[in-house]
Amino acid sequence: MALSLMLRNGTKLRGIAGLQKCTFNVQKTQNFTQFLNQDNYKTLSLVNKCKTQFINVAQQSKRNMSADHGKLWTLEKIVSLALLGIVPATFLFCNPLLDDLFALATVIHFHWGLEACVIDYIRPIIVGPVLPKIALLLLYVISATTLGGLLYFNHTQIGIGRAFRQFWCISE
Amino acid sequence: MALLLRLTGNQLLRHQSKTLCKFVRPVTLKPSQYVPPVQMGHDERNMKLGRPQSPHLTIYKPQLTAMLSISHRATGIVLAGYAVMFSLAAVWLECPIEYYIEQIRCAELGPACIFGIKFTLAFPLLYHFWNGIRHLLWDTGRFLTIKEVYLTGWTMLAVTIASAIVLSGY
Repeated sequence: MALSLMLRNGTKLRGIAGLQKCTFNVQKTQNFTQFLNQDNYKTLSLVNKCKTQFINVAQQSKRNMSADHGKLWTLEKIVSLALLGIVPATFLFCNPLLDDLFALATVIHFHWGLEACVIDYIRPIIVGPVLPKIALLLLYVISATTLGGLLYFNHTQIGIGRAFRQFWCISE
Repeated sequence: MALLLRLTGNQLLRHQSKTLCKFVRPVTLKPSQYVPPVQMGHDERNMKLGRPQSPHLTIYKPQLTAMLSISHRATGIVLAGYAVMFSLAAVWLECPIEYYIEQIRCAELGPACIFGIKFTLAFPLLYHFWNGIRHLLWDTGRFLTIKEVYLTGWTMLAVTIASAIVLSGY
């Protein structure tokens, strides 16, 4: 008897189980309700749609936060690697060509470093939209004048390498 | 018997339809205009919710990893400052640099003072140099486990201090 009852109502019970699953799905998508099992695939496609939307939003917000940095990153690393050789060589050999290379590589390197600092610490969300632009502009001015000054020194005076060498021999 | 079965069956059905009513509620579907989701950056959302900034520096214990990272940036800024000052001096000062070096020599500052001046020049450079090698090695994907990060950190610190002292005393 019990068996016959279960057989009779089994389909209904299964229906309820499916129903609960459906409502759960609907809660996940937070959009609209679909109760019937046969429409399940619709909710599924809806979930997928929502997912792609979320991904799009994530990509867009990422794009809003920073520009594509891939190629510049490689260049930054090349300059850093070059500086590991240029800096000791400049102070050891006192060559005019090395002096100029030192000035150029150093200024490029510190410009990128300070640019990262400006972007990290002077953020539009904290200080407003104008100040970061002024800071970045100021940084460009500082970097350009510094490069000009160092090259001027190299070509009118003894050069960076020799200058530091002379200074280091101060106690002799 | 059959009657009994049918009666109980009906009772059960009625009961179930009551429980079903709990799950089924009348729904009307209404088309509405698509409203694009509000695009808000990570920082904006955090500020709106009043969350502390990550990393939460005031509750973090100062660790070697974080300290070496921030001092790498600090020494970089100091070195940039040296370069800018040197460049400005080269343009603004009238006499050639040999004159000023001679002036310092004639001032007879004493070995400790000269050591101090040389150390303030050499330490940031050497720190940034040795730690820069560490950073470049990380960029190639090496020494990235916590143990290796600490090992290379302490090694770098020892090498930096030793080389700075040697170079300043030279």
